[in-house]
Amino acid sequence: MPPVIQNGGGRLPQVSLPADDVASVVDVRWRPSRHAQRLLTLAVAGLLAALLTRRPELAGLAGPAVLLLGAGRAARPSRLEVRTGLTATRLYEGELGAADVAVTADDGDWDARWTLQPGRGVEPASVTAVSGAAARFTFTMPRWGRRQVGSVSLVLHDRWQLAEGRVSVTLPSVDCYPHPAMQRTRVVLSRLPNRLGEHSARAAGEGTEFTGVREYVPGDRQRAINWPATTRRGRLQVNTFAAERSQDVVLLVDATSDVGPPGSSALDLGLRGAAGAAQAHLNARDRVGVITYQWGGARWLAPSLGRRQVYKIIDAMLAADAGWARGAVFSRLPRAALPPGALVVAFSPLLDQRFVEALRDMRERGFPLIVVDVLNVEPPSRYTFADVMARRIWRMEQQAIRFSLRELGVPIVQWDGVAPLDLPLAPYTRRPLVVRR
Amino acid sequence: MTAVSGSSPEATPPAAGGAPLARGAPLAGGAPLAGGAVAAAAPRLAALLLGGACVAWTATPPRHSGLAGILLVVSIVALTAGALRLALLEVPQPEDGYFLPAPVRAWLVFLAVLRLLPWEEIVVVALVWLEVLHPSRPWHTAALGAGLVAYLLATHIVESGAAPGRLLRRQAKVLLAGACLLALGAGFAMLPAAGAGAGSALLRVLAAAAVVAAAALVLPA
Repeated sequence: MPPVIQNGGGRLPQVSLPADDVASVVDVRWRPSRHAQRLLTLAVAGLLAALLTRRPELAGLAGPAVLLLGAGRAARPSRLEVRTGLTATRLYEGELGAADVAVTADDGDWDARWTLQPGRGVEPASVTAVSGAAARFTFTMPRWGRRQVGSVSLVLHDRWQLAEGRVSVTLPSVDCYPHPAMQRTRVVLSRLPNRLGEHSARAAGEGTEFTGVREYVPGDRQRAINWPATTRRGRLQVNTFAAERSQDVVLLVDATSDVGPPGSSALDLGLRGAAGAAQAHLNARDRVGVITYQWGGARWLAPSLGRRQVYKIIDAMLAADAGWARGAVFSRLPRAALPPGALVVAFSPLLDQRFVEALRDMRERGFPLIVVDVLNVEPPSRYTFADVMARRIWRMEQQAIRFSLRELGVPIVQWDGVAPLDLPLAPYTRRPLVVRR
Repeated sequence: MTAVSGSSPEATPPAAGGAPLARGAPLAGGAPLAGGAVAAAAPRLAALLLGGACVAWTATPPRHSGLAGILLVVSIVALTAGALRLALLEVPQPEDGYFLPAPVRAWLVFLAVLRLLPWEEIVVVALVWLEVLHPSRPWHTAALGAGLVAYLLATHIVESGAAPGRLLRRQAKVLLAGACLLALGAGFAMLPAAGAGAGSALLRVLAAAAVVAAAALVLPA
């Protein structure tokens, strides 16, 4: 039995509903509409004026209003069933979502009017007020995050539009995921762990990529014999193939500082880039994990396989609380979060010195590392000498940080968030990334 | 935020037996934002024109007394404010904020005043009073009654977003009966009194009111 919500007089009864299609029974208390009040004003004014001035045509003036008021004795439903549902509880930025609402009643003749009050950060993509027993409101979310879709208020009118009942339904929240950056190519390490995958390794194996020809030795498969080479050399030759391996990829997202305009801030770009990289590597059957450096320390998700891991990674990133804590320490991570030999791709504006130190520490421990620089803004400044000098010093500091990382063998690429990630990563995706310890 | 209203000409019939929402079921809404602007403007314009016609109809011929002038100004101001209220009906009330700039605060106060007072009721009372100031003109008053009811209906259509055709079809018989009562009222006023004096006029008023009350009582619910 669904819960019965009592209407509270003039205030709208609030019905909170979970994400799936849900029916709730709502008691409706009817009260005179504005239209009825206006008709009553006309009727009273006409009759009073007729009595005071003794002019019967003024009584006639009140006639239509009195008739309409007298007709408003139709049966009205006292209990309604309101159903709500969202087409999806997870959306990507800019993706269209929809909220379905419907009302049913056992008796009476009534009209329904739905009005959507969108929540913060939710933009309606259709009209916000609709008449009918069922309605669909479409909406988009321009920026990632967990957001309340808003509420829908239902106004019911009886057949004669003389009475109205109001109900407000709170719509569930939606997880808006960052729109993944486009990345079709992948960074592949030169030394891959001994695990079956899709990347061609340097070692010979049972893959599909041809690497050369060698002399036959007992135990080789007969189907691998290269007959043209055998004919030329006079001895049996067999084809050799590259082994196919997978790699561990750990995405590092720096959520310690979120600078830039909302929608294209450093954190926005970091999350979009990490989501795109996660999709690209998981499509190649790599094991992908994520570490988020954030308020109070680091959160991590161990590398794993499969499409579900994409959602796990994005969920883990969405839980990031952007900010900076003075006492936060980025201590060494457990082996499960950062497996030995894993490729580390960091998305950071490189503004937090502790994060830079963490990168240095990883590099010194031998991890192959690529930093995607997502800093696309500079501090605001006026045209005063002090401001110009401060900006120059800030730029030099940033250059020094990047230089020191490059000196350690950490490649840094700049990404503006608009172009595909393939472009800045192109020098490292064309050939295997050589790991120097 | 863009906020535009729309309405489906025929509301989708309620799903029977509490059936779950079908994903492909025909639903009202989902129309693009730009499409509803013309549909939303038409009834607002109709309400403004009907109200303006009522004011002009009542003010003709002009009365040169002080009270008539005041009532005319009040009705025009109330009509304008009512039309503005209807035009800004979909504008959401901004959330509370601190240290708002003066123009924003002025806009908020303007919106609050616009939505606080019953402008349509003020128009109705002012026009009835203005009509009283004129000498008896039964058919003129009957036409004013028809205009006022049309003005109130148009205002309600804008407010509720109801489909005008459907609403008028449902109320057609009652509106027709109301027009008959208007004609009866005008006819009562034109009948010659049986005898001179205030009692005879009062009896005619009571007779007209009784006809109106009887019609309302016998109307089927």
